[in-house]
Amino acid sequence: MDLFIELIITFCAIIGFGVIFSVPKRALLLGGGIGVITWFVLQTGINMGTSTVFATVIASLTAATIAHLLAKKIRIPVTTLSIPGILPLVPGSRAYFTMLSFVDGDYLQGLEYGVETMLQAGAIAAGLVLALSIFSFGKGIGNRYETGH
Amino acid sequence: MMKAADEVMDICLLAGEIMLTYGAETYRVEETLERMARAAGFTNVHCFATTTGIFLSFEEKKGKEDLMQMVRVDDRMQDLNKVTEVNQVSREFTAGELTVEEADARLKKIHKAPIHYPIWLIHLAAGVAGSGFSYLFGGGLQDLLPAYIAAVMASVTLVEFERYLKVRFAAELAAAFVGGSVAIFLVFIGLGLSLDQIIIGSLMPLVPGVPLTNAVRDLLSGDLLAGMSRGVEALLTSLSIASGIALSISFFL
Repeated sequence: MDLFIELIITFCAIIGFGVIFSVPKRALLLGGGIGVITWFVLQTGINMGTSTVFATVIASLTAATIAHLLAKKIRIPVTTLSIPGILPLVPGSRAYFTMLSFVDGDYLQGLEYGVETMLQAGAIAAGLVLALSIFSFGKGIGNRYETGH
Repeated sequence: MMKAADEVMDICLLAGEIMLTYGAETYRVEETLERMARAAGFTNVHCFATTTGIFLSFEEKKGKEDLMQMVRVDDRMQDLNKVTEVNQVSREFTAGELTVEEADARLKKIHKAPIHYPIWLIHLAAGVAGSGFSYLFGGGLQDLLPAYIAAVMASVTLVEFERYLKVRFAAELAAAFVGGSVAIFLVFIGLGLSLDQIIIGSLMPLVPGVPLTNAVRDLLSGDLLAGMSRGVEALLTSLSIASGIALSISFFL
């Protein structure tokens, strides 16, 4: 039941964010839907006992994959869907406590929160990168060897 | 036909400028411009874009000198609707459904158009987003209202400061300061319980989501310069938010 309320609130919050970023109308609801799925995956992962960072990678990968698929289908830039999709994962709370600890002069605690913030941001990036790599198969992106000829 | 080449150059650069200003990834700008120039029948097309400028060069016909122009992009805002519309124009132009004049007219219209949603709706949406995230970060249902008020106040401050001072980082700092102060005040008069969650919620609408996502995408597709500069931009925004909120906490707590 708690999760259900959270999902509804996520949906509203993500649509709010969509308006802030001026996402076109036909993508607003889709973005909200992707955000809900992201939050659901994240919470399910955490409830199943995985670490927050791992759950974030999975959730971000899910969001980016759905965003890529839908963006191809309705022909809009993928950012309009992937940004709302990953917003529920943003480590705003950790970032805030990092700042709070530094303001209080508790530098060790601040560093701990800071590292957690960086890890979570890195996990979001990792999910995006994985999805992007999957959808660039064959087209090529960032080659290391000239194996093509 | 020197005139045609010049016109194509103009619409390409206008399209690129709109996309870059309103938050498209660098690779998308380069790809769109190259496609449009090729569709107009030019060869030897090269485009180089960073976060702050675009270079475009192409050859009208063999043996003639290449055309080369650049535009400087000063503002970086977030309006993904404009990016989508330019994308649509470039798609139709590449498919040959639009003439140069039609594309020019449509791009100018997009360029002049006001922001997609009215500004009051953006303030209200910032409130909804802020209160929603304050709940998701662990606040209770009674914290929804104060977080809503604080987030709307932060959003109004951001827009009004940017309108009159036109300094982005100062506006972000002021918005974070106002958001934090309003949250502290509301908790002080007994509206809402969990102060931390209300503050976080009210600051969430300021998070630089567009530059962050674009930084990752640009770095990955090999636009290292653009990726780094976007990342630094997002970092600067985060730092000014953090200092704004730190200021209000040191003042009032």
